[in-house]
Formats: sequence, structure tokens, C-alpha cells
Amino acid sequence: MTPYAVTGLGVASALGIGREVFLQAVRDGLRACDGADDAQGPRLFDPSAVLSTPTSVRVAEVRGFDATKYLGDKGLRSLDRLTKLLVVAARLALHDARLKHDGAWATTASGSPAGPGPAQTGMVVSNAYGSLEAITELDRVAVLEDARYINPSRFPLTVSNSAAGYVSIWEDLRALNVSVSDGNCGALDAVAAADVMLSNGRADALLVGGGEAMSEALFLAFHRLGAAAFAAKGAEGPCIGEGAALLVLEEAASAANRGASSLAEVVGYGTAFRAPERDATLVNPSAEAMERAIESALADAGVAASAVDLVVSGVAGLRHFDEAELRALARVFGEDVAVVAPKLGLGETLGAGGAMGMAAAIAYLGRAADRAPAYLVRGSLRTPTQTVRTALVTSLGYYGNASALVMRAAAS
Amino acid sequence: MTGVGVVSSIGLGRAAFFRALEQGVSGISPVASFDASPLGRQVAGEVKEFEPRDHTTHGEQQRMGRCAAMALAAARMAVADAEIKAQALAGPRTAVVIGTTMGEARILAEMEYEWIVHGPQAVTRALIPKYGSTLLPIHVARAVGAQGMVLALPAACAAGNYAISFAADLIRSGRADVVVSGAAEILQELQFSGFVRLAAMAPERCQPFDLNRQGLLLGEGSGMLILESEEHAMRRGARLQAEVREYGLSCDAYHITRPHPDAAGSITAMRGAIERSGLTPADVDFVNAHGTGTRANDLAEAKVMRDVFGDRRVPISSMKSMLGHCMGAASALEAIGCIFTLETGLYPPTIGYDTPDPDCDVDVVANAARRGKSDVVLNNSLAFGGYNAVTLFAKAGALPPPAPRTRPATRPPATGSAA
Repeated sequence: MTPYAVTGLGVASALGIGREVFLQAVRDGLRACDGADDAQGPRLFDPSAVLSTPTSVRVAEVRGFDATKYLGDKGLRSLDRLTKLLVVAARLALHDARLKHDGAWATTASGSPAGPGPAQTGMVVSNAYGSLEAITELDRVAVLEDARYINPSRFPLTVSNSAAGYVSIWEDLRALNVSVSDGNCGALDAVAAADVMLSNGRADALLVGGGEAMSEALFLAFHRLGAAAFAAKGAEGPCIGEGAALLVLEEAASAANRGASSLAEVVGYGTAFRAPERDATLVNPSAEAMERAIESALADAGVAASAVDLVVSGVAGLRHFDEAELRALARVFGEDVAVVAPKLGLGETLGAGGAMGMAAAIAYLGRAADRAPAYLVRGSLRTPTQTVRTALVTSLGYYGNASALVMRAAAS
Repeated sequence: MTGVGVVSSIGLGRAAFFRALEQGVSGISPVASFDASPLGRQVAGEVKEFEPRDHTTHGEQQRMGRCAAMALAAARMAVADAEIKAQALAGPRTAVVIGTTMGEARILAEMEYEWIVHGPQAVTRALIPKYGSTLLPIHVARAVGAQGMVLALPAACAAGNYAISFAADLIRSGRADVVVSGAAEILQELQFSGFVRLAAMAPERCQPFDLNRQGLLLGEGSGMLILESEEHAMRRGARLQAEVREYGLSCDAYHITRPHPDAAGSITAMRGAIERSGLTPADVDFVNAHGTGTRANDLAEAKVMRDVFGDRRVPISSMKSMLGHCMGAASALEAIGCIFTLETGLYPPTIGYDTPDPDCDVDVVANAARRGKSDVVLNNSLAFGGYNAVTLFAKAGALPPPAPRTRPATRPPATGSAA
């Protein structure tokens, strides 16, 4: 693909809100899944109130998330958590990229637009499960009372692209708005969709990434699936997360034209699907799909496997999936390549997973290491103080699909 | 575009669907899949003749819900219609891109019911992995042997146009040779209730552009298309049914459910589709409307027609008068309606059109199919979330190849930043 500059990053995550807070937390290897420390702010819900039985499923919430700090207190009442997380991430990303300044589209000293404006800016956003919060709320009314009593102002939230639609309204993004749903591969696939849109001149700048919101229903689903049974040996059990991460992508040349600084570059994408051997199989961790996705991303980037310094993997503490992903990585890179797993700190954020991976990659890229990379699960850098120039971000889907992305440190 | 597959309330498969479009058949009937009577609304475009077991294997039925079964059935019909051999379809150069609004909404509703009524341990474990929009393309990819991109695009009521247009872009940008694309949607109680509560649902008939319209009706179904690079299609000697020429996208950034009254976004999208095709509005023969049957939609769409076409009254028609609003699947079924027009030279009728609305001064194809020039047609969609998507279809071979698209070295100046 044409190289794209990442000119801004907005994150609302369990490891903090805002670019620098997030990047530092990743570099420090902080873990949001670990404790239920109430000093971090109130919890969204008490797992023991949802279940009457113990669970090994842990939760990584954006604790104490208060959207009013970023959005003011008008008009938030009708919004759900997913929308608020995404709008906050979008607003921060647009300001970080200097497309906006003090809430308005940036202008030059003479008052002309300083870069892409609302008609040239859009978004491609991944989400896996929509607003389970709103669906459950309306279902409760419909099941226990009467479907005639469901709140019409909450009904729009049940539509899958609702949150993305609200982001366009709040941030005035008019070029295009594409929602992508591909489980935990979605946010990397969003980059592929963004590439198609940008390279065909359908927009000049795109917010690209994903969002997923914690809900009782999501927590319950992971618990009922017996996620603990899949947990990696000796690990603490899986951790589901939430949050939103959006990167501003622009063609490198246009970003340079408007004098935007670049946090990193996105240079290649690959994806693959492999059907399972058995008819009855549905859930399907495919090392073969992962391997093909990686090969195709490297080819797209024109980067040799030997040039990849670090893999920002999707390893999340689910044994069969982690093993398949690591097997694919070993086939392409050998056993020694440094593999990190930021989901150990952030939880599995599903539709936002790949976006958190890309954001985490920015934390590693272009920096000389003074210690082993945070969240390291296998291998090591070539030398202990090596600067990470090229990173591969991977996501392995639950149904036989996989996607991979090559990122490079910004040219300094 | 080399093949189409249809699951609809007016017929399964190309032949039945085309016949019904020509005759202006209504697919509206009393809802049978749930008890709608307490809601005061009882009809929809429910697909009554669709039985998953007629189109899917036992194993497939075990692992998928009704929405995926419709998508898969339509995809299989499209593959058969394209007369494409399994080995030409299998492999990493084939992608599957499917739009939807709610996907397997009934599976989610079933799990929620178990949880709400019987408690958390009552949720059937085997249902959980069957929910998620991502499964629609996964199931289809498994069935056709696709090993490239599998992607669901939840773009609400424009999902079909998004999927088909994105599929065309994937091929143009060299990321796939063949894409199975389209959309699927099922009727479900919560959605039905929601539209009733939004006071948007008509009691009996959906009458787009009619003065006495009373709102929309819901529907369900699936429309699938086989898109191929021209080279791939020629190499295997395929019959080219139509060209997916170009599309225009925009976002209103105005209101979550209502179209912008000045229709600026929608106008941008339609002009974009025409200009990007290397055409002018004078080249457009027919517009397959979004036409939901709500006043807000009709006024916005009439304004788009006036703005784009001026005094030239380009015929427009809404298939939702026959099918109801099939949400995510709507614009995919309407895309197949565009293929119908290109192939037969007939514009599908807007049925139930009794009284022209003076505020919607458009040339509605009223009550009976009309014959007319059919080289270039537009498929218009305006969706929830302010999404606008317009796709331009052309009769195969009718237009010269588009000029190679090169990006301007320097971008035109940004506009509209003050708004």
C-alpha cells in the first residue's frame, strides 16, 4: 500500500485516556486487568451481582470514565458508553493531528483551512458487538413489561453503526463513515478499508480504529463460554477489556504538505481466512490463516521478515488462540523474534483490539530500548538496546480469519 | 457483475424476483414469526417461503442462524447464476463482503430472554459463538471456499450499497479478483417494536412519494452479487450482467435517524457517483430510490433529484413499496433491482401510489413497470447515522472504460471548514 502517516492518536483505554498517558502506560507495562482497586474510580458493574457463581473472567474497564470532561455535559444523556468512548477518542485524535484546534477545524493565520476539513475527513471504525448495553436495557423492558414501553430515544443505539453515526455528528465528519465488523480483526481490517478510501481519493484524512464497550452481557458471554477453560496454563485467566482507539491516517505526502508531524507510518496490510477441517467446527483458531495474513502484509509493505524488529501480537490469554498465533509467528520469523502482548495489560478489547495494538506499536516504535519491551511473551530484541524501526501488528479471529499490519517508525 | 442471488418476500432467486418486480407484486403480509398484535402494527415484508433446509446442509444449519442462512442461500444462488466453477472461486483471491444492520438479531434475543427470565446460568452456551455480524461473511466464505478478506459492514440501511461498492473498490485496487458481496437482514421483534415506537411504521401499506403516506414497513431478505475483475470474468468466459461503475459516499453529520433537510450530503454522494463514473446527470436513465415511505425521506430524496437533475424529470421508483424496508439488505435487493432494469429495460413500479404529493415533484413509476432507456441507473440509499451511499450501475459494455484514476498531485483547497 501507499505509506500512510499516523498524524494523530486518540485513546480512551483501561490504561488511561489520551495519547501520552496511554503510551507511557504501555512502555511501563501497566496492567489494568489485575486488581479491582476502587481508588481507580467506580466500576461499571459488580461481576458478583451479575453472576451468583465465581468466575475466573477478569475485566479491564476504563475506570471512572467521565465523558463530560471532554465533551461537556450537554447532549450526553441519550448516548451509551460505546458512543462516548468513541467520541472522546475521535476528538482527542483530531486535536492531536492538529486537524482541529480548540474544538474548531484548524485554520491558518489568514483564516483559510490548514488541512483537510469536515468534507474531506471521515472515519472507518471497527466494532464487534454494538451496544449490548442498550439492547439489554430495551430487551428487559420488552420481556418483563411490554414492548410498547421501550424508550424510543434509546432505540437508535441498538443499531450497529449507531456509535459511528454519533461520532460523525459530534465531530462533524462528512466525507464518509464506514463501520466494520470482523471481531477482533476488525480494527486492522479498518485500515484496509481506509486504504481503499484514501487511495481512491474518497477522503483526505480518516480516523481509523475501533471501539468496544464493557457490558454485563459481554461479561456474561465470556463467563458462560467457560473462557477459563481455554485459559493459558499457569495464566490468571482471560481478561475482557473495553475502550476506543482511533488513529488519524493521511497519505504521507499530504501530511508532509500540511506540515503535520507523524507518530508512525502504516505501510502494509494482509488478511486471510481458512475454513476448519470439520463440518461441525465453528470457533477456529487458524495458524495457517495467521501465517498467510502475515506473509501478505509483509509483501504488501515490501518488507522482509528479517526486517521486523518486534511483533505486537493479539495474544490475550486464550490458550488455543495464543498457541496458533505464536505457531504462525514462529513459522515466519523463527522462535527468537520479540513478541509482545499488550492485551495482557488492556484486556481483549475485541473490535478495538487491533486499534489498541496499533496504538501500542507507536509506544515501541522509534525508541531505543533501555530494558526488555513491556508485555514480552517470547523472544527478545536483537540487541538489548536496539531501536524498534519496524513492527508487525497481528490479530487472530475467532472463526478462522486473521489480519496483520506492518508499521514503521516515523522518519526523523 | 456476473451473478445475482435473491431471498425476498416476493420471490427466491433471480427469475422469480424479476417476474415479481415486473408485475409489481406486494410481499407484505401479516407477521407470523412473532406476535406483533400488541404493538398495533401487524404487517411486514416477511419472507415466508424461505426454509433454511432447502438451501443449506445439516451441518450449516447447526452452526448458523436465520440471517446467515439467508445470506448463504442468496450467495449460492448468485454463484449458480454466475456459472462460476468451484475452483475459480476458491482461494486467497476471493473475498466476501456482506452488509447488515443487526445480523443474527434473533439469536441475541433468545439469549437475552434466557438471561432476563431464567438467570445468567440459563444462557445456552452453544448460542454465544453464533452471534456476531462477522459470521455472515465467515459462513459464506466457508461455503464458497473463499480465503481472502472476510468482512461485515454494518452500515445500517445503506449496508448493501456499501458492501457492493467496497467490493468493487477491492477488485479495482488489486486486493481481490472475485468478491461475493451483498447484504442480509431478518425481521426481529425488538427492531419491529422500535420502529413502532419511533412512530415511523405504517399500518398497512408503504407508499413512497404519495401524499397520504403513513410511514415505512419493515421487511427482510438477502441479495448477493458476484463481482469479478473484468479480466477474471473474461478469462472464464462469463456473461457480464452489468458493470458496477462507481459510487459516492458522504455522511450528513446531522441527526442519527433523520436525513438532513437540505440533503447536502445525499446530493454530494449522488454527484460523486456520477462524476466519478466519468458521466454527467444527463447520462442517468433511472433512479432506484431509497424511498422508505416517510415524509422526511421523500422530501430529502425529491430535493436530491431536483438538485442533481434540474428540470429533467428522471424516473424514480421505490421497491420498498413491494418489499418493505429490508434495512441492511434493502440496498442490496435494490441493487439487484437495478440489474433487472439494465437487463429488461423495465423500471420496477412503486405500488400503492395513489395521490401525488405536490411537495415531491418527481416522476414516480406509478403502479406498473415502465419501459425506458436503461443504460445507466443509480441506486440511492440514505441510512441511519447520516450515511449516504449511491452506486452507479451500467449495462455491460454500454460505457467506454473509465479513465484511469490518478490522484491530483496537490489537493483542491479544503472547503466548508466554517460550518
